[in-house]
Amino acid sequence: MDFIERTKRFFGLSFSLANAGFKLRNEGSYLGILWYLLNPVLMFLLLFLIFRDRLGNEIPYYALYLLLGIIMFNFFQDVTLESTKCVREYSGIIKSIRFPGESIVGSVVLKRAFAHIFEVILFTLVLFFIKGSIYGILFYPLIFILFCFFTFGVSLILSSFVVFFVDLDNIWAFFVRLLWLATPIFYSIGGQVRLYVFNLFNPMHYFINLSREIIIYNHLPELWILVGAMFYAILAFFIGIYAFNKLKNKFAEMI
Amino acid sequence: MERIIATKISKKFKIGFKKHQSFLARLISLFSGKEPQKEIWALKDVSFSINNGEIVGIVGPNGSGKSTLLRIISGIYKPEKGEVRTNGKIISLINLDVGLQSRLTMKDNIFLCCSLFDLGREDIKDRLESIAQFAELENFIDTKIYQFSNGMLQRLAFSIAIHCNPEILILDEVFEVGDESFRKKSAKKIKELVKKGASVLLVTHNPYFVRKYCKRVIKLESGKIQ
Repeated sequence: MDFIERTKRFFGLSFSLANAGFKLRNEGSYLGILWYLLNPVLMFLLLFLIFRDRLGNEIPYYALYLLLGIIMFNFFQDVTLESTKCVREYSGIIKSIRFPGESIVGSVVLKRAFAHIFEVILFTLVLFFIKGSIYGILFYPLIFILFCFFTFGVSLILSSFVVFFVDLDNIWAFFVRLLWLATPIFYSIGGQVRLYVFNLFNPMHYFINLSREIIIYNHLPELWILVGAMFYAILAFFIGIYAFNKLKNKFAEMI
Repeated sequence: MERIIATKISKKFKIGFKKHQSFLARLISLFSGKEPQKEIWALKDVSFSINNGEIVGIVGPNGSGKSTLLRIISGIYKPEKGEVRTNGKIISLINLDVGLQSRLTMKDNIFLCCSLFDLGREDIKDRLESIAQFAELENFIDTKIYQFSNGMLQRLAFSIAIHCNPEILILDEVFEVGDESFRKKSAKKIKELVKKGASVLLVTHNPYFVRKYCKRVIKLESGKIQ
């Protein structure tokens, strides 16, 4: 099977699994979308009310800055956390049928990307009310594709390692919480050197920063931010593919 | 044409160790030393070949390696030694599991399972009615399958499998549940597929089925062909 056929099959199967997963989670009702929206909206309101006076004056368009950070981080958090569970969830199929297992992780990304569309619509509405101009959002799909490559790669690594380390889901949940605090989502780095150095190694910082610069501030991002985002996306994607392919033959025996 | 060529395949499993080790336990075991592992050879030097148009039965007591052999042929397990070469689209129905999800409707399950067997959406739409008809479940297309009996699930799983263009059909204890009339209907369908050139590998504990339909029988005991 050539590359195009394999890619076609990967997307077709990912779509079917995502569709089934969405129906399973929401019992066939699209009202389930509300649950995806409720989390970022409540978190946004809470953080906005707490930090608006303290940080809102230092950061231009603080509401947009905060909301964009929240929805992007939530996407990464939800996909990666679910990827630590998805292989075990589909253990029956993995033990019975040979199929491209990457599609399970692909379906997790697709399913969450569908819900992300509604978050982006919400963000676009807020952007319109606050700034009046929304043309920056037109570039978001390009950034999001890059972000999906990164998230997919990390998820592939997690989903293959969790077969061998059963408590990886707990460790990852803890790590993601730390990453949430370490990433400038509701604050800015300002002059904090240590935080700045740490975030050079934090891929989330690059993706969120890139989006904020283009969508909220309508600036061309600095080259190192763009290169950093591309570097982490490609690196995570290829390591993910390599790790998953190396370990997937053991899945059926281990789960 | 040979559909399956298995050459000296052996498969071992490690047992008697905590396979679901946590990260912390693995870290500690680096210092404390690993606990002794016991190995069990589920298959040892198994060789055979199956031509197109053949129905081959695999029989043997529980734990003799039948399901392991089917999983290796299906490409789900990798053998430690030896190799399996296959020629044709494999559809495996092992432990009646084709990925049916109990909280989905029958229609959604058909779409999901056929996708797993590499069928496109348009192809699935075309076959939806035929799958439901063969399974005799036309009136339950929008019913969630947790309400189905074991027999209904078996009929649905089998119907999906035979509608996905199998060239090598692998069936593991599929006919142990279900009624006689459906068994006969399934056997007829299997014969039709075989006539068109497919090969069928069938694990069953039903000696009548083996005698009546299988051209050859592979008898496994303790992982070896007897």
